[in-house]
Amino acid sequence: MKQSLGRLRELLDRHVVGHAEAKDALLLALVCREHIYLEGPPGSAKTRMAEVAARGAGLGFFFYQMHRDTRLSELVGDVVLERRVLPDAAGERIHQTIEPGGILTAEICVLDDISRAPGEALNVLLRILNERKFGEKPIPLLTAIATSNPLRDEYYNEPLDPANLDRFAIQLRVSGLIQSGERALARALVDQFADGRVVEQPEPEPLLGRAELDALYAAQSRVFVPDAEKDRLIEFLRRLVVDYACDETNSLLTDRSFLVKAVKLLRGRALLAGRERVEREDLGVLGSMTTFRVPEEVHEKVPELIEEIAK
Amino acid sequence: MQTPKTSRAPLDRAREALDRVLFGQEDAKTGLLLALVAREHAYLEGPPGCGKSALAAALPRIAGASAARISFHRDTSASELLGEHHLRRERRETSERISFERMPGALARAEILLLDDLSRAPGEALAPLLRVLSERRLAGTQLPLESAVATAASDELEGHSDPLEPSQLDRFAVQLRIRGLLFGRRFALARELLDHPPAEPAESLLDAAQRHRIQREAAALPIDPAAIDALLRAVERLRAASGDEPALLSDRAFAASAPRILRAHAWLRGAPRVEAIDVRALRYMLARRVPESLEPHVAAILEDALLEATPIRALPADARPATAAGEGGGGADAPVPVAGLETIAAPLESIAAMPRARGDDDAASVDELVRALLGRLERGAVSRGDDPGGQPRGFRRMRRLDELLDADPVDGLLLVQGEASSVRVARRERRNAGGSLAVLRDVSASMEGRLSRWAGQVVAGLVRTGARRRMRMGYVEFNHEAERFEAGGAFLHRRYRRLLALASRRRAEGRTNYEAPLRAALAELRGSAARERHIVMLTDGVPVLGDPQVRRERALARELGVKVHTVFLGLGECPEVLDEISRETEGAGFVGRPGPDGRLSVRERSTGAGRRRSGGER
Repeated sequence: MKQSLGRLRELLDRHVVGHAEAKDALLLALVCREHIYLEGPPGSAKTRMAEVAARGAGLGFFFYQMHRDTRLSELVGDVVLERRVLPDAAGERIHQTIEPGGILTAEICVLDDISRAPGEALNVLLRILNERKFGEKPIPLLTAIATSNPLRDEYYNEPLDPANLDRFAIQLRVSGLIQSGERALARALVDQFADGRVVEQPEPEPLLGRAELDALYAAQSRVFVPDAEKDRLIEFLRRLVVDYACDETNSLLTDRSFLVKAVKLLRGRALLAGRERVEREDLGVLGSMTTFRVPEEVHEKVPELIEEIAK
Repeated sequence: MQTPKTSRAPLDRAREALDRVLFGQEDAKTGLLLALVAREHAYLEGPPGCGKSALAAALPRIAGASAARISFHRDTSASELLGEHHLRRERRETSERISFERMPGALARAEILLLDDLSRAPGEALAPLLRVLSERRLAGTQLPLESAVATAASDELEGHSDPLEPSQLDRFAVQLRIRGLLFGRRFALARELLDHPPAEPAESLLDAAQRHRIQREAAALPIDPAAIDALLRAVERLRAASGDEPALLSDRAFAASAPRILRAHAWLRGAPRVEAIDVRALRYMLARRVPESLEPHVAAILEDALLEATPIRALPADARPATAAGEGGGGADAPVPVAGLETIAAPLESIAAMPRARGDDDAASVDELVRALLGRLERGAVSRGDDPGGQPRGFRRMRRLDELLDADPVDGLLLVQGEASSVRVARRERRNAGGSLAVLRDVSASMEGRLSRWAGQVVAGLVRTGARRRMRMGYVEFNHEAERFEAGGAFLHRRYRRLLALASRRRAEGRTNYEAPLRAALAELRGSAARERHIVMLTDGVPVLGDPQVRRERALARELGVKVHTVFLGLGECPEVLDEISRETEGAGFVGRPGPDGRLSVRERSTGAGRRRSGGER
């Protein structure tokens, strides 16, 4: 089991240089069947990573480039008009239906540049993501990976509605290797392109499959969470609310994310580390949940806070 | 009649099943069960991720009821809620007839209807649906509907929601506001939740026959006169405690629905009749019917009413006060000789005596100002068209069949004849939406105390209205210099909550300079693509720094077509330059000063421009 994840990680490493944190987060999302949101400037390999992870997972795959005119119907399949002849030559009836496709039939999807889509389309889309249901019908979707540019006027995007943003349990800020001053990695990247080995990015091969991911998910749910770690989680949240003054006006610490999904991510993190029991070091995963849920200055202090609590 | 005790078991188990779906949120669960037994509609309001939708969705599964779910969004239209549109084409001897048919949708079959994110739908789309809910009839047929359960985000500013009108909400007898455990600081409960992770509801515990039996049984419970007395007293007390703030204590809710809720409450606790204590169930009905500020006192008010209606029970017989039993509403004023009663009656008095805090009494007059300002904001956008979708501006592809009425006639004809698959319909743009608004607030040393509070209220009012219109807004505080506040790296943004937080800031230092804030705001608005661009400048004084005439900024505003509205607050003389700014940029001018009673009184200043221009407006 560990092996299959290792192979996926290798695949990511083969295709994308650096970004260890984002790669771990992607694996975590796959193991926990959670949605993940990557935000970063153009050209920081967000989309590439998302695509490699998605294809490597070996699942039914759907990629959609969001744009300003994105309509919900483009994501859920085709809207078709059906005409039916009424019995007894009474005439005919024309009605509209949806031929399911896109996100309704995929197991994993990449929603590129999600913040460019108009809020209305997103609202319904993200509810589908959250409930994994369309209307009353369950959909096979396991994980959605969304990417976005930071909110800036020149990118023509809109901030995601907080309720929508909360659908993505894992949230990460990605920055380019050059921008973040990772010179060694940037060098490796340049080398990769400079020596002519990479003429064309090869299509990543599907590595895992549904059965393997199901087994991972089951293993994740069996990971033991000791009471001490649960207490630490609550202490972390208490500190955010009480000491760092996170409240409704500036933060999004929902019960759903931090009392339900956080536990799952802790277990997933333990599994990725090859353990069957959550340890205090797994608390670090909480830092990938607070990125856009608490004020930036508080998020910067989160690693410190986690360290303090883990003592 | 079956004894209530035996048939209550399934509902006890239903309660346990709800506990497994979500730990905590006891009020929401009680509210849902009350609605189920009383056949009433329920409305749950709360922040995202606190479990409202999960509980709502679990109800029909546990109750074994057929459910339909409508997820609302901003484009929800009335027609899609009530059914699907079909186009029917009939050939006749000499003609062909094409007509719209509405096929009743899930609504026609649902016993429990789930309305998700109700507040995201535009109000006008909801009206027909809510009417159907209260009548429980659609196109002349009785619906099997027992209860509708609506959920809504608590935050009307952020996100894509429209505040619901109280009159619309009145259709929901049960109304509850719920909070998340974390922001509610209930960490012990949160810790317990970790040990009880939410689970999907497993099985249905009731069927239609059982439900109906329970509902009939509850509806047949006799009501004690004391309970009716307590109900009336409670409503009276709530009305009195609401003061001037808007409360919606309608006959529909309290004369028609409340007895049903009381009966359900009695039934749920296994009582053979409705007693005065069941009046406590009223607290599940009050979330949007009484002012939010009253919420912490509701329980005490209900206890007061209860005590007033049943004075004998609480006391030994010899201590029974002669006056308390029958004397009607003025309980708080009536002398109460018993010490025990006095202490319990205190909460109501304390509310009545509560200082009307934080200058709430000013709020109404600030509303006037905001309304007047808005009138001006919208003047530029008014259009003659009477289509609710707005004015046609070009074409787009048809998305729903019922849009055919708005289609290009030739395309529509081709579609019906089967010769075209894509149809162009008019792309309409809603008026009163979009646009940019920069708010400039004077925070110089003279803006202190009441002036600062008023300014904050005006800013808050502008933010709320901006949120409704989905305007991009920017905020500048100025004294001798201008401080721009950004959110997410942008000056103009839609993070309204952030702006509201800024509105309540109180700062008063430095001296006044008009030039800096106007220049900063205009520089930002220059880059905004919005058609409607406005600045509202709030100040109380004459500029002593920078160009007092702000000539360059006035010219720039004119050139950019930015309307600058000015609001002068305070007792002094309104500086002429404000009039000139407003006049030149076709903005409005207001003056707000304390009236004889000490309250803020606002009126539109005559800037000499309004009248002249109004003739040309449509």
